[in-house]
Amino acid sequence: MHDTIIELENVSKLYRLGNYGSGSFKEDFTGWWNRKVLRKPADLLQTRQQYELWALKNINLSVNRGEVLGFLGSNGAGKSTLLKLIARITLPTTGIIRGKGRIATLLEVGTGFHHELTGRENIFLNGTILGMKTREIKAKLDEIIAFSGIERFIDTPVKRYSSGMYVRLAFAIAANLDPEILIIDEVLAVGDEAFQRKCIGKMKEVTGHAGRTVLFVSHNTQALKNLCARVVCMDKGQIVEEGLPEKVIADYLKKAQQQFFYQEYATPEEAPGNDHIRIKKVSLVPRFLPGFNAIDIRTPLEIHFEFWYFNGASDSLIAGIQLHTLSGECIFDICSTGHCFSNGKVSGHCLIPGNFLNDGSYYISLSFVKNTTNRLFHFEACLSFDVEDYRTQSAWFGKWLGYVRPAFPVLLEYEPILTGIV
Amino acid sequence: MHKKPWDWEIEASAARVFSFQPAFFRNNKDLLLRFARRDLVASYQQTILGPVWIFLQPLLTTLVYYIVFGKIVRLSTEGLPAVVFYLPGIILWNFFSDCVMETMYTFIKNAHVFNKVYFPRIVVPFSAALVQLVRLLIQLVVFLLVYAYYLWQGYYPVPGVTLLLIPLLLIMQTALALGTGLVMSAVLAKYRDMENIFHFLLRLFMFATPVFYAASIIPPQLRWFYWFNPLTVIIETWRAAFFSWKDIHYNYIALAFVESMLVLLAGIWLFQKRALTVIDTI
Repeated sequence: MHDTIIELENVSKLYRLGNYGSGSFKEDFTGWWNRKVLRKPADLLQTRQQYELWALKNINLSVNRGEVLGFLGSNGAGKSTLLKLIARITLPTTGIIRGKGRIATLLEVGTGFHHELTGRENIFLNGTILGMKTREIKAKLDEIIAFSGIERFIDTPVKRYSSGMYVRLAFAIAANLDPEILIIDEVLAVGDEAFQRKCIGKMKEVTGHAGRTVLFVSHNTQALKNLCARVVCMDKGQIVEEGLPEKVIADYLKKAQQQFFYQEYATPEEAPGNDHIRIKKVSLVPRFLPGFNAIDIRTPLEIHFEFWYFNGASDSLIAGIQLHTLSGECIFDICSTGHCFSNGKVSGHCLIPGNFLNDGSYYISLSFVKNTTNRLFHFEACLSFDVEDYRTQSAWFGKWLGYVRPAFPVLLEYEPILTGIV
Repeated sequence: MHKKPWDWEIEASAARVFSFQPAFFRNNKDLLLRFARRDLVASYQQTILGPVWIFLQPLLTTLVYYIVFGKIVRLSTEGLPAVVFYLPGIILWNFFSDCVMETMYTFIKNAHVFNKVYFPRIVVPFSAALVQLVRLLIQLVVFLLVYAYYLWQGYYPVPGVTLLLIPLLLIMQTALALGTGLVMSAVLAKYRDMENIFHFLLRLFMFATPVFYAASIIPPQLRWFYWFNPLTVIIETWRAAFFSWKDIHYNYIALAFVESMLVLLAGIWLFQKRALTVIDTI
């Protein structure tokens, strides 16, 4: 029933690192001389380790006409290699790729731009490199210039452009391409927010009609969810899951988030700490919402910790929790009230409510303070976690600003203008 | 599942090296011309004289040759006015050398583009050769003006049908220059240290070619070897065709034609072969 437009059959790609393609004529020549003329055994000649890397292993995939297919996976999972093979930039080591129709590849914006040429000349240059015919570009020129929003500078050499203008022009060309198959890699990660919004809008428009097939790699799960009908998740050169975006993305995030949720030590001797404090256990327990298994901005997070406490006596002890973003900003630094404990095991809890943190990566540190000023022990970055974005309805797919994202209601009140009363 | 007709297939083993068909030029015309236009427009940005340099550059070289080789070294111009003797050598040699220098770095200079988008890689050297050909044709106008002036002054006999050889010489010249550049680019993509050797060879080749002297100064016992160089044949035939002051060696022309075409075919073959794997290694 479906009309297959691209088909991959047992596609693998091997990269040789190290010895291969040494780039020096002398090395290759002596290698050849030793092998062919002196007939030395090959194992003696392995002077340098030869590394082989299967960037892709036995990929089988078919793409239907008009489908918007997203690719997801950590760095080095093989997503970009796969797109490069389909785009014919590099050849597969084994297997075969078949397809129908014209492909345009957008692995970066502004491929082949020449700095000395004007914006207008670069529209023609870049458009032609991306596979458009001159007459097609002429027909779309006004549309491209209007979309870029830099009409005033279109006859200025692009070397005088700001980086924002450069990207706008480049994306305007890309957005007006008209191929049967469009391959896009992470290009949405550029440009200011207003322009990003415009680009996503345009992407939705072009993917929505005319049977355009789009292959789309992005780390922006929000964009993948909104644009794609099917998502392929890759890991270590293989397809691990494919299917509906919500499911594949959630599974991917769950796996990616199993980072540093839990530390436990059986005896005080092996536990981190000092003469006063030994950490028995720290853990982060997300209270997932029904039907979700990844931390998103709505998920409440419980923090549990237990420690052995020595030399307590009559001093008052305070336990503190610091939450930092991975980039180092402190979001909060909270602490318990002071208590006097004798030697023994102490446990503590804290709940970070849902709808509090914005999406991003965070880490938690614990500190223990005696008599309000004397720091006994600081357990730096003992837990870390990612918070994923979640939006029900919004036309904006870019990063939401701010470190916190509370669900404070924003209310509007309306009062009609009554004509006749001045 | 029934067999569907595919528009294209990508397969490691099925990579046909020599799939170079006449349709190539029709399919890639826009890209070929666009690259050529980019190079022409970009090379004269922010220069005061702009494209005038295309005329000026061979004339200035002629002046230098006239002073150095004509007045100081006192090499024979075979009775011709210095400017008409030096100009063809300079124009033809510059075409060859610029063409080789431009195409030699195809893979290295365009690696970032080749890594991001696919188009037939060989379009790039072809368009570089096209740019040089345009420059050559413009410089020919200068030569023809100078030539016409001295012809009117009666320095040499009116040429005849031998001028019909000129288009053939241009074809040979282009094939030779492009082929040499293609071979070098394929080698250079793998062995970067060959760059210096190529530069050296190119300089040596200039002295082995009658650019600023006449082939008649070569001792007779070396001549058969000397004329083995297709560029010698092209430049000497060019001078002979215009000035008719000695015989045209048709057997040498035939040999040079075969040589030029072989170089071009070898160049295309090596280039296409390298283009398949270059992205993984460069």
